[in-house]
Amino acid sequence: MSQRYYEFFCPVKVIAGKAALEHIPYELSGLGAGRPLLITDKGVRAAGLLEPVLEACEEGGQEIVTIYDDVPPDSSTHVVKDIAGIYRSEQCDSIIAVGGGSAIDTAKAVNILVSEGGDDLSAYAGAGVLTNPLKPFFVVPTTAGTGSEVTSVAVIADTEKSVKLPFTSSFLLPDAAIIDPRMTLTLPPHITAATGMDALTHATEAFTCMAKNPLSDAYATAAVKKISNNLLKVMDNPKNADSRLELAEASTMAGIAFSNSMVGLVHALGHATGAICHLPHGLCMSLYLPYVLEYNLETIREPLGELLLYMAGPDVYATTPANRRAEECISAIRKLRDALYQHCKLPRTLQETGNVEQDQLDRIARVALDDGSIMFNPREVTLDDALAVLKRAWG
Amino acid sequence: MLAKPLRPMALQARRLYVELMFQVMGRALQGISEVDQVARDEARELPEGFLFEMMVRPRGPSLVVEHTGEGRFHYHGDNPPRPVDLSIQFKHIAHAFLVVSFQEKTSVAFAHDRMLVDGDIGYALRMTRILNRLEAFILPKLVASRAVKEYPANLKLPQKVLSAARIYLKVATQFFDTARAS
Ligand SMILES: [Fe+2]
Repeated sequence: MSQRYYEFFCPVKVIAGKAALEHIPYELSGLGAGRPLLITDKGVRAAGLLEPVLEACEEGGQEIVTIYDDVPPDSSTHVVKDIAGIYRSEQCDSIIAVGGGSAIDTAKAVNILVSEGGDDLSAYAGAGVLTNPLKPFFVVPTTAGTGSEVTSVAVIADTEKSVKLPFTSSFLLPDAAIIDPRMTLTLPPHITAATGMDALTHATEAFTCMAKNPLSDAYATAAVKKISNNLLKVMDNPKNADSRLELAEASTMAGIAFSNSMVGLVHALGHATGAICHLPHGLCMSLYLPYVLEYNLETIREPLGELLLYMAGPDVYATTPANRRAEECISAIRKLRDALYQHCKLPRTLQETGNVEQDQLDRIARVALDDGSIMFNPREVTLDDALAVLKRAWG
Repeated sequence: MLAKPLRPMALQARRLYVELMFQVMGRALQGISEVDQVARDEARELPEGFLFEMMVRPRGPSLVVEHTGEGRFHYHGDNPPRPVDLSIQFKHIAHAFLVVSFQEKTSVAFAHDRMLVDGDIGYALRMTRILNRLEAFILPKLVASRAVKEYPANLKLPQKVLSAARIYLKVATQFFDTARAS
């Protein structure tokens, strides 16, 4: 009997492409909502990204009741409580998040409080605590990387107890993700590069780690193809709206893939490095991806070789002998990193970041071993293994 | 065709087998924490008095161990003296059977959504590593490499623990055979 078993779930309506924002009023009315609270951050507002959203709503006869634009990069229970208070006093009935990972996670947590009641977010921490659908919730991503618009998790810091509270429930998934090329058109080059590498890592880990399955595979390969075809085009010509849209779609597709098949050691090391050295998540992904693939190589030779088709195209795939395809895929990823380094100095090694000390590697390795992502890495990672990967990534 | 009539004997045997294997694992966890330095170093990081439970939903077999400090475990049978700190829960007895009969690796069972973690994920990972170590200990190498992702290279086998655990295992295997035959 086959040993195969998998689960796949993504109930998020994807609304993508030209004039996608203009669909928000109709979609809200379809859920019986008319008083949305908009949650975003100062960066989004300063980049002028709120205007197209507000215009689209206003022109469509949809009032935005209030805007909260002060979500910090590392959101906290305190911020969530404040926003929930605003939602209640303004009698809102729905939430629109506009931004990257932090704004989206914050909005998910606000939705828990305003739907379930109370002010104590920690009561809902953990997996499977929520048992009821939440308020209508839309997400407009402004980076093409995190995939948070299609994941059922949120992480919020409890500043008083100085712990990070994880929330996992399919009820956290938004009702719709609105992917509009206008929202990522002005993303600066180094953020475009780092978030693109985050999406590439989601797809690659989803395709090579233990919970891979036929449905997530389809999303993962399609995402890799879109990223390898468009990331450098966007770096060359940031105003290329078609390629921007492709990257944004790829990010969502990679998000669907990894939220169903999970990620592995790249993310475990990346989360640890982010926490200890305060490097951006996408950069950490780019730093570790090739070294972790090399470490996992013998257990993932087959899927990684297959990925070469999407990473480098049919010509390279056909002319590479089958037993060299996995190595060739890693070298295609390295070439992409070299090109990004030429474009915007996106570091390729820990040394090149200038923000990591060699004596921090041991701590990074120890923290990574306790990170949930390591569970689904195809190889059982020991402390020595993690250290060896870090030393290779040092440069 | 109508559903086949239930096989009460086989199902009963499966439940007994899981119960028995949980006892084997509980005792063996206490056992290796006394003799194996690697397992003890992992366990040392757990808070003192930390209660770990592995159970089958909704009210199936369970095993409870307590970290009593210095990396040592005490086996409490299926009776936690107070609410547990970390619970790893199989969704169904059939899924627990797959794992404790070494047909599905623990890590694969997680990847297959067979079990849930209620509690800190870092501690859950630590306990999974200790359980992997344990399986490598009490099982013949051939079977163990089926049960864990990678068979540890540095396994020194203290004969005392081994033989004790193997006896349990033998009994367990008989149940397994009965279950499979019926
Ligand atoms: Fe990521």
